[in-house]
Amino acid sequence: MSIIEIRKLTKKYKGSDEPAIDSISLDIEENEIFGLLGPNGAGKTTTISILCGLFRPDSGEVKIGGFDLHTDLEKILHIIGVVPQDIALYPTLTARENLTFFGNMYGLKGKELRDRIEENLVTFGLEKFGNKKISTYSGGMKRRVNLIAGLLHRPRILFLDEPTVGIDVQSRNVILCFLHELKRSGTTIIYTSHYMEEAENLCSRVAIMDRGHLIATGKPTELINSNPCFKNLETVFLQLTGKDLRDDV
Amino acid sequence: MMFKFFSAFRKEWLILVRDLAGLIVLFVMPMCMVVILAVVQEFGWKDVASDPKLPVLFVDLDQDSLAAKIERGLDASSFFQVVKTVDDKPVTAESARELVRKGKYQIAVIIPDGSTEKVQKKIEFMIIKMMSGLKMGSMNPFSDLQYNDSVQVQLYLDPAIKPSFKNSVLCSMREYTLKVESQMIFQTFNSQLGMMFPYYKPSNNVYTETVMFKESYPSGKTEEILPNTTQHNVPAWTIFAMFFIVIPLTSSIIREREEGSLIRLLTMPVSYMTVFMAKIGVYLVVCLIQFALMMLAGMLVMPLFDIPALEIGGKLFQLILMAVATSLAALGFGIVVGTIARTHQQAAAFGSVSVVILAAMGGLWVPTYLMPETMRVVATFSPMNWAQTGFYDIFLRGGLIVEILPEITKLLLFFLITVGIAAAYRKWKPPISA
Repeated sequence: MSIIEIRKLTKKYKGSDEPAIDSISLDIEENEIFGLLGPNGAGKTTTISILCGLFRPDSGEVKIGGFDLHTDLEKILHIIGVVPQDIALYPTLTARENLTFFGNMYGLKGKELRDRIEENLVTFGLEKFGNKKISTYSGGMKRRVNLIAGLLHRPRILFLDEPTVGIDVQSRNVILCFLHELKRSGTTIIYTSHYMEEAENLCSRVAIMDRGHLIATGKPTELINSNPCFKNLETVFLQLTGKDLRDDV
Repeated sequence: MMFKFFSAFRKEWLILVRDLAGLIVLFVMPMCMVVILAVVQEFGWKDVASDPKLPVLFVDLDQDSLAAKIERGLDASSFFQVVKTVDDKPVTAESARELVRKGKYQIAVIIPDGSTEKVQKKIEFMIIKMMSGLKMGSMNPFSDLQYNDSVQVQLYLDPAIKPSFKNSVLCSMREYTLKVESQMIFQTFNSQLGMMFPYYKPSNNVYTETVMFKESYPSGKTEEILPNTTQHNVPAWTIFAMFFIVIPLTSSIIREREEGSLIRLLTMPVSYMTVFMAKIGVYLVVCLIQFALMMLAGMLVMPLFDIPALEIGGKLFQLILMAVATSLAALGFGIVVGTIARTHQQAAAFGSVSVVILAAMGGLWVPTYLMPETMRVVATFSPMNWAQTGFYDIFLRGGLIVEILPEITKLLLFFLITVGIAAAYRKWKPPISA
């Protein structure tokens, strides 16, 4: 059953010649880890931003969890969690203070919220540092708190925008293991990354985007096996999107 | 809804109080600014208010009644201090000229030798000429005679002298000279009449001033609040300092956007207006604390600099209303700048310069009545001008609520319009990049 249905989604930014995404249609099934892959400027962030309600598409239809994006955004915001690529935390607040604030914004409070914060801090090995300011954290620790902030309300769908970029191996391992656990508990994860090996291991299905178009969709193994020349997801990716540099300004 | 508001308020407050250096800047710097600017401006205000005691070099080459009376008149006025010796040496015409040329003094008055005698002779000539008409009728041989020897009082002026100073000195000199001349005319007229009519008995002290001036304030509040320099300066510089809230507020808005927290908040089931109002709430509290501290500085610190203390005069409620309205106008301005500016540098540069422009435009530096006509019209568009008018209504004119209501309304409308512009801009241009 599709938890996200995207039909002919198009978005063109003001002043831009080409649409950022051009008539994309996609179904994401419940309880899968779906990888949205593509070079810089492919349209991944635009797609996720629209799905999160950050702005409206020019045309197309989106249903998330059965709710229409145009008419039921408020309901959608209750069932999704977003982990931005940036460390979207307040550096001068402690991890607990940050998580309390974001939990409150999801409507959580009191003991329930405190318990969830403690539970997540323990899961991510941060319970001893909960009262330290975020500004004192390492990159990996910040990433973990960044992830927890999007999970506190136990969303049905979690959007992760490059959650493991620029962090140490141990932190990456903790995050990836947790994402597997999360999938097992029934959460649907939509994930973007430039790490093809990570996507290959983590995702049940991937979509490769380029220049606003969806150019391939399927299970990583299916895509790799579609051509004997493909050794892994990275070779698939490079074959489909080319080896030219994609500097995005 | 309220629970989310208070949570956002707490978050914003914690961020603020954790930044110790920022707090010092927020609370101590405006106080310093108000005190320093008010002290510096004190002298400027005294030009038109009271007791400036402008030093005037005075060289008396006349050594007679005209110079003596001008000197007494200048010295007795509360505006001038007659200086006749510098470095224990008597001031001469030459040294006075040199002292003014070097800018050590702004004005010097030299009464030439024989001035009294010349004035006396000219008056006698005029009286005799006038009286001769009584004796000789149409055959008067004096009728066409002229007496051209007049007294030339030399004034040396520093080019940097304020026109108000120069005019004050000239007006005072003319006033004292005319008084002396009038007295001489009466005395000479008396003596001439005595000579013409042996039975005429001259009366003493015939000359008295006939036109007097009575000062009063239509507000009728002088018994409560004396309009002194502090009452003018503290509100003006307080408004100026309050508008500098634009800098930390824009910084907070841009930081939230740059760090990505804004995007996270926009994907949460909370109205961004709730979070934003919490931010405004915290900065409103900051503004009100700043205001209270600056008022306290006016009341307690000013007297330490020998400046009259600020008198609130039981208008606390009106003051709070005006402070809230002014703060909201300042916050509204900060919100627009913070929303539209792309970087901290843009916001800081534009924010600070625009506050200075609004202050100058609004009459905080130069009273609007001294501005050209066009600028006086422009001043009425500055929120700082509205705030200043409101505070002056309270501090100087009695300030009933109904009297400050127009200013409060304008400031609140300004807040609503600026917030509306920021919201429209945010809707038109979401804070995300592809």
